[in-house]
Amino acid sequence: MDTKIVFIKDTNTKLDTTRDFYAHFLNLLRENALEDKVQVVRIADIGIYDQGLVVKFPDENIIYANVQDKDLKDIIAQTIKEGKVIKELLFKAQPKQLRIVLRNCGEIDPENIDEYIAQDGYQALAKVVSDYKPEQVIEELKKSGLRGRGGAGFPTWLKWKLTRETPEAQKYVICNADEGDPGAYMDRGVLEGDPHSVIEGLILAGYAIGASKGYFYVRAEYPLAVERVEKALKQAYDYGFLGKNILGSNFSFDIDIRLGAGAFVCGEETALIASIEGRRGTPRPRPPYPSVKGLWDKPTAINNVETLANIGPIILKGGSWYASIGTEKSKGTKVFALTGKVKNSGLVEVPMGITLREIVFDIGGGMLSDKGIKAIQTGGPSGGVIPKEYLDTPVDYENLQKLGSIMGSGGMIVMDEDDCMVDIAKFYLGFCVDESCGKCVPCRIGGYQMLSLLNKITESQGKIEDLDKLKRIALAMQKASLCALGQTAANPVVSTIKYFEEEYRDHIVNKKCRSHKCKHLLNYNVIQDKCKRCRVCVINCPVNAISGDKEAGFFVDPKTCIRCGKCFEVCKFNAIAKE
Amino acid sequence: MIKAKINNLPVEVQEGESILDAAKKAQIKIPTLCKHPDLPAGAGCGLCIVRIKGTPKMLRACCTPLEEGMEITTHDPEIVAVRRTVLELILSNHPNDCLQCGRNNNCELQTLVADFGIREESFQKFLPDVAKDDSTRTIVLDAQKCIRCGRCVKVCQEMQNVWALSFLERGFCTRISPAGDIKLADSPCIRCGQCSNHCPTGAIVEQDETARVWELLQNQDKYCVVQIAPAVRVAIGEAFGYPIGTNLTKKLYALLRRLGFKAVFDTNFGADVTIMEEGSEFIQRFLHGKGTLPLITSCCPGWVDFMEKFHPDMVDHFSSCKSPHEIVGVLSKTYYANKKNIDPKNIAVVSIMPCTAKKNEIIRCEEMYASGCQDVDVALTTRELARMIKQAGIDFVNLPDEDPDHLLGDYTGAGVIFGATGGVMEAALRTAYFLLNGKNMQKVELNQIRGLEGVKVAEIPINGKKIRVAVAHGLNHVEYVLDKVREAEKNGEEMPYHFIEVMACLGGCVGGGGQPYGVTDELRTKRAAGIYQDDQGSKLRCSHENPFVQQLYKEFLGKPLGEKSEHLLHTHYQARPVYAK
Amino acid sequence: MAKLMKNDLDRIKQAHQDTGKDWIKVGMSTCGIAAGADKVYDLFVEEVKKRKLDIQIKKCGCQGMCYSEPLVEVRVKGLPEVIYGRVDKEGVMKILDKHVCANTLVKDSIYELRTKR
Repeated sequence: MDTKIVFIKDTNTKLDTTRDFYAHFLNLLRENALEDKVQVVRIADIGIYDQGLVVKFPDENIIYANVQDKDLKDIIAQTIKEGKVIKELLFKAQPKQLRIVLRNCGEIDPENIDEYIAQDGYQALAKVVSDYKPEQVIEELKKSGLRGRGGAGFPTWLKWKLTRETPEAQKYVICNADEGDPGAYMDRGVLEGDPHSVIEGLILAGYAIGASKGYFYVRAEYPLAVERVEKALKQAYDYGFLGKNILGSNFSFDIDIRLGAGAFVCGEETALIASIEGRRGTPRPRPPYPSVKGLWDKPTAINNVETLANIGPIILKGGSWYASIGTEKSKGTKVFALTGKVKNSGLVEVPMGITLREIVFDIGGGMLSDKGIKAIQTGGPSGGVIPKEYLDTPVDYENLQKLGSIMGSGGMIVMDEDDCMVDIAKFYLGFCVDESCGKCVPCRIGGYQMLSLLNKITESQGKIEDLDKLKRIALAMQKASLCALGQTAANPVVSTIKYFEEEYRDHIVNKKCRSHKCKHLLNYNVIQDKCKRCRVCVINCPVNAISGDKEAGFFVDPKTCIRCGKCFEVCKFNAIAKE
Repeated sequence: MIKAKINNLPVEVQEGESILDAAKKAQIKIPTLCKHPDLPAGAGCGLCIVRIKGTPKMLRACCTPLEEGMEITTHDPEIVAVRRTVLELILSNHPNDCLQCGRNNNCELQTLVADFGIREESFQKFLPDVAKDDSTRTIVLDAQKCIRCGRCVKVCQEMQNVWALSFLERGFCTRISPAGDIKLADSPCIRCGQCSNHCPTGAIVEQDETARVWELLQNQDKYCVVQIAPAVRVAIGEAFGYPIGTNLTKKLYALLRRLGFKAVFDTNFGADVTIMEEGSEFIQRFLHGKGTLPLITSCCPGWVDFMEKFHPDMVDHFSSCKSPHEIVGVLSKTYYANKKNIDPKNIAVVSIMPCTAKKNEIIRCEEMYASGCQDVDVALTTRELARMIKQAGIDFVNLPDEDPDHLLGDYTGAGVIFGATGGVMEAALRTAYFLLNGKNMQKVELNQIRGLEGVKVAEIPINGKKIRVAVAHGLNHVEYVLDKVREAEKNGEEMPYHFIEVMACLGGCVGGGGQPYGVTDELRTKRAAGIYQDDQGSKLRCSHENPFVQQLYKEFLGKPLGEKSEHLLHTHYQARPVYAK
Repeated sequence: MAKLMKNDLDRIKQAHQDTGKDWIKVGMSTCGIAAGADKVYDLFVEEVKKRKLDIQIKKCGCQGMCYSEPLVEVRVKGLPEVIYGRVDKEGVMKILDKHVCANTLVKDSIYELRTKR
């Protein structure tokens, strides 16, 4: 009998005894004279959370969860010795993640086109150029129900159809890789991990709409993605997936790269077009939509990285396969960049319809600290916060919108009780104010005015009428801004007011920030009972705000205090209160 | 045709027409601060939002075409509230300098705020810390008053193809400025002033020189003479409630005398002289092969500046003849001074012009000092004159008609049509015909080269020869014409044209950068109509018939292109850098 | 090189079928590199050369578990394929010493997320 390997995950779990599970397991093996036959490996992360002790046999792929002390004997007797599966202990949950877009990420060498081909890469292209009419490609996409992953969720097939049907000899396709939401990096992951999947998608898009030329618009802040896309393009040209008569067909297609120079708004399609054309990156009114009048005034289909990475699998496996995943109106999977106060931050790809709770707790491994979850922010600066009460909402385009947020490009930031909602709103709005192109009034001035009101509120200067002003400007921004950046920039403020108005009132009326985030609303005080009169705080205070003597005790003068928190930090006796 | 409903009123418009324009036809005014009839919609201000049944969003009326069956609401409490907020946001970023502003009482923002009845400031004031730029001494850029509507940028880049103005920075810090944050004077700016004419607020205004004129008029030692350009007479009335295009030449003569000018001349006389010179120049080149064809007109200083900066390969094509007001200027200080026995140093010449570039032209090179001192002392725009009239307390409307002063004041119909696009060409051809044929045209009107088409081409048969001409106005139309010339030159082909007229401003001087605000094609057409009417009503319609011009040549200049003419009436051109530094 | 035709694709696919050879894969996306994956990769290459080991060092993209970068996936015959997380210089040595050379897994540094495959 070969050495059997057993994975165990025994940290952060409650044992029914205080004994060390690992040592106990080894002991039991020794008693059974199995110590040489079985290698027990403690694992840092097994991807299963809140399921107690987990024991896994990697070779047989048997996983037992919620293993109790008493179960160990059975495991040794039945599974290890006899090779039998103990059904009662089996961890039955299906995998939560489903990787279509990220199918090759972390699997293949992104710089080696052969490895992509080995994973059925460019098979969809081969199939399409030899067997499909362009209309059939669009038809397959229609069946799949794929919607744009850039944020708005416009049906991809319809975008392609409209572009295809605009009568014009020259057409373009563009891959929008100007990902810019704070905390979101789905597209970067795909471009760096599997650039060919996006290139293949772009070529297929070109074939479907009848374009001979495509552009990659990648933000310059992604140097590695740019490098890998450039390499991949060269390889694709070498192999003849790009250029004249692709795979011996009549179809010819070229791709060029353009770098975005650091403007968030250039992710908006009309601003992106202006940027490629060499003009100032500002949006223009739509209609006409790019599908009618786009790059150099020619019909243009602009698709996001993630959308394009889905095309190959849809062609290969069929639209109905794709449509079998997800919810009624939102098909397929969505990649999220899960960040914030969550244990396992990273890229996750999940089928539409999964709940927020599953994402955060089953995939993300739960909260990073013992502070409870407060809310989840989705959709980046265009999105909103979703309070914990709605954690069981299935994730799809419509549901998130109903909650006052949006799907967006896939940023998902988990917040706990330490996060101040006014501060969060201020952060996102500040981002949009920085990134506003300045073209239209509601966004340019409205955003700035809202930000100054939020600054007032977090700096204890807020007045109760400021709330109405915020709402009033927000409405103007939503209704009268030209592009999606302005129309949605107020969303983080609107949604935090919707769900956490009390917190705003606390800041304004009581001059209190319950999360202790807004430092102007904090007060530091000496807790006299705990104070040992060591004077460390007095010595360390940079503005001499702490005075007193050993008899009377020490006191912080709130007028002098600059809320730097130094006293709180240096006190060894926890005698400084922050409130 | 598109049929739809706006506020429940049925409307029917051409396909592609915007909701904004369609509403206008239904007597509905949707407010906007960025849309200008001359320009494509920029969609910057966000005021023209309307509601379209079936869509949750509000859409911009300026850039959304009306579609079949649309049901549009232009005014409801929420729409108006949003507009009001947007307007208040603009105000929060705009100084309260209305009373001292160049656009006081004539400001689109001020009007709208008054219409909305905004009585208090809801939002904190944040003003950009930017200095005025008056480096050009013709146009003053006060970026603090700018509402970033983008009209000036569009005008400068798209209409005029000059690219002096652009937006710098982004977000709240967005501001208008020449690229690279340099001074306007160091930029490609050609001082055409179209930006100032299209600005809805006081962010770009002409350099006001009325104070200098008042000073000259007060100065007992100065003998102040004045001249008015052709396009001024049909536009000044707009400031006094006259119907657009009313010709007020004779009232203006009376007015200028009341203001204190000792002699009241007319630039139209200078135009007649220009034709004598330029017409002769054309004949020389066309008939005798002396000089390069096509001949290109040079009486528009904006165009001259543009050519020197962007098309210096065209220098040889340019007529060396000065512009009409410079001719009147130099003749005032020589011919007239001689006759009246006044020391030219004591003569001050003031030109009333539809143009801001003229302020720069009067000092552009040494030939502008041919009389021995600066030939024209001050160039005022139509807008400045309107202000002077109001300041002087003169009841302009009820002034009697008067005649100009002789020697440099009487003009023919050919002189006055200089004010409209195609006019210089038409006037020149009338005289060229005479010079080639020995008699006048039977029908002097050349309708082929009138009107607002950007580029107009025609073939005029004269004496068995065909003269091919091109007329361009609005500088974005120039390249097309020049490229044709270049192409022919390159391929050694026959020139596509013999004679080209260019005016920097759309419509010619009637649409000049110094004219009253609110210019549209309709306005340009009406102003031009006023000018053509003046021509129509003139007894003499060809420059060479002007008895005072004939007298001038007989008594003073000798002959066109003679030594004295060359010295006083001609200038030179040279390549200039697009950026000064 | 010559442009490919459709059947060339299958040929390449065949040629790159898994041969069961041992390899070490280092996650080399921005998240990995930011956590030090490039140094880890270089050290693997250097050490394998030094020790004359018959194992391929490969690069790959982001596995998604960005919180535990640098990630190193190891396949050695006789042991399950595992992913090691937060691998540093010391980790590289451990992986080579134990996993590759001594055929035992390195305890406590395996990140075996069920999402993989």
